[in-house]
Amino acid sequence: MIDKSEGLSRATEIYANRSHRVKELKAEGKKIIGYPCMYVPLELITALDLIAYRTYGDMAEPVTEADRALPTAFCPIMRSCLDCALKAKDDFLDGIVAIHSCDPQEKTARVWESYINYSYFHFIDMPGTLRPEALKYFKGQINDFKKALESFAGKGLSPDKIKAAIELHNRQRALVRELYELTKPEPPLISGTEILQVIKALMSIPVAEGNELLGQVISEVKGRTDGPQEKPARLLVWSSTLDGFDIMNIFEAGANVVIDESCGGIRAYRADVELTDDPLDGLAQYYIEEITCARTFREAVLGETRKDYMADLESRFGYLKDMAKEWNADGAIFLLVRYCDPFAFEMPSIKDYFDSFGIPSTYIEYDYTQGSLAPLSTRVQAFLETID
Amino acid sequence: MYFAGVDIGSTMTKIVLTETNHTVLSAIKGPTGPEHRQLANEVMKMALEQANLQLDEISYVVATGYGRLNVPFADRQITELTCHARGVSSLFPNVETAIDIGGQDAKCMKINNGKMIDFVMNDKCAAGTGRFLEIIAATLGVKVEELGDISLKSTKKVQISSLCTIFAQQEVVTRLSDGENLEDIIAGLHDALASRVTGLARRLKIEPDVVLTGGVAKNVGIVKAMRENLGCELFIPEEPLITGALGAAILAKEYSVKAVSKGEPSPTKVRRLEKATFFK
Repeated sequence: MIDKSEGLSRATEIYANRSHRVKELKAEGKKIIGYPCMYVPLELITALDLIAYRTYGDMAEPVTEADRALPTAFCPIMRSCLDCALKAKDDFLDGIVAIHSCDPQEKTARVWESYINYSYFHFIDMPGTLRPEALKYFKGQINDFKKALESFAGKGLSPDKIKAAIELHNRQRALVRELYELTKPEPPLISGTEILQVIKALMSIPVAEGNELLGQVISEVKGRTDGPQEKPARLLVWSSTLDGFDIMNIFEAGANVVIDESCGGIRAYRADVELTDDPLDGLAQYYIEEITCARTFREAVLGETRKDYMADLESRFGYLKDMAKEWNADGAIFLLVRYCDPFAFEMPSIKDYFDSFGIPSTYIEYDYTQGSLAPLSTRVQAFLETID
Repeated sequence: MYFAGVDIGSTMTKIVLTETNHTVLSAIKGPTGPEHRQLANEVMKMALEQANLQLDEISYVVATGYGRLNVPFADRQITELTCHARGVSSLFPNVETAIDIGGQDAKCMKINNGKMIDFVMNDKCAAGTGRFLEIIAATLGVKVEELGDISLKSTKKVQISSLCTIFAQQEVVTRLSDGENLEDIIAGLHDALASRVTGLARRLKIEPDVVLTGGVAKNVGIVKAMRENLGCELFIPEEPLITGALGAAILAKEYSVKAVSKGEPSPTKVRRLEKATFFK
């Protein structure tokens, strides 16, 4: 039994040695399935008693091997992911599931598949809009994924098994939301850096163990007296992927990060999957609509806002305004990974939107290397000086 | 009371000493260089001599610029963006857009009532900075200080398409072998740099008055190209290099006043003119 007061230090340990637990499980005969993006319906992996493991790049590792396979002016996260794979850093994985969240991931997945011989590889196609036909098509893709996974696992999946997995994952989503409640006090009870480690730990261990960890972290944080210091500003961070401790430290040198809407923050946990009669309906609907990554073209879907810029912004980013208000943010930082077109295209719009309700914001760019972090400090500090 | 602003840029170290009413007592520039970053104290000694002051007479020191952490005698570090904005608006009270082209970066600041409200900086790339001009000047065999005057003789500027410094360098060599005139090539380079910086500035909505600072503002050819690219009047301070240090000195006074009103000691530390013993 693990000591209840050890939640945060356990999360730090898992963060520092992410693959430790899955390697243990692999030694016990479990199969480990890697996924580079949170659009992959993990519930199906869990339902088949397989372990889902989020693959990341490594900012501290210079990309060398991936250069023979991918162009240089290209998503640095995908380049780094493939580089790590080519260097056999994730050689404990039995398979990979990739998804068409963006073109770089699709292309990288193909290269990944051809360079490394996994016993299981699957690619899910995913439409880029929210039109009704998209939902139908995406459900078909999830069904194909289910069949492929069943044949890999050598067993079938009943709707009840899927529903049980959905409930387990929904429990995790609810617990993460509860965790983010703890950044609402001033000063917050838990720092952005600590949360980042907890979330990354969750993506490295089985869901049930993650839920247990969350329970421990929450009870520890609620009772702690050594929480973060109050800084002059409370920040909302919006980003594609924010998986580096070092970047969060730059923000938190002069501010408290109270909410991060990023992949690695609250994005994958904001809503629950609905338990529909056919569980694939709920999964399809959740993954395509509820996860708010910029990869989906949220056109002014319903027609009437199409010609009104502010109404369009409201329909695309309204949730961020609610978040900024709910967490009482004084400023927002939009963190852009270089060559991430979907997010880069949103920058002028999201900035206009935040200007419209008077929360100062700035956007900064890095290239997913340690070397690109020093100039970030100056930009972040300068931004904080403007809201001082 | 006396205040100091120390601006350690990538190329030059600038120090401004002021009196309470912001009168500039001395403004000193020295090359930063690889080792000089540890020698902010030497430049400070020169500034103090010129102003006929002792270090312990300075009430508050603000350090800025990318070497701001290497100033052991500073009371506070503030980014060069905030300091430039403050310095520029003290010289040009109507400024709304300030563009600074330094040795290794270009930045644009949006200013409202003397306060910076937004900013952009260039990517980590030499294009659009003073270093770009230094490298190309070396290729052309002219001094960087001469570029401006030479370019004014141009009658038809050569289009330089690439903005990457190394590619531009190759392109310049090709143009020379094509037989193009030196002044036309340099005019083309100035235009390439100006259009790059203008593009950066346009990410903020550019409003007049627009002020240009930084070492590159001393190049008349760049000033001309910037005016053409921006399509508006451009104000240049008499000494465009020292606005960051000036802003730092003005902020030093403000922080000192704040500290005194809170009953805190000013200056905040015992000062010694010594080398920074760390490199950060």
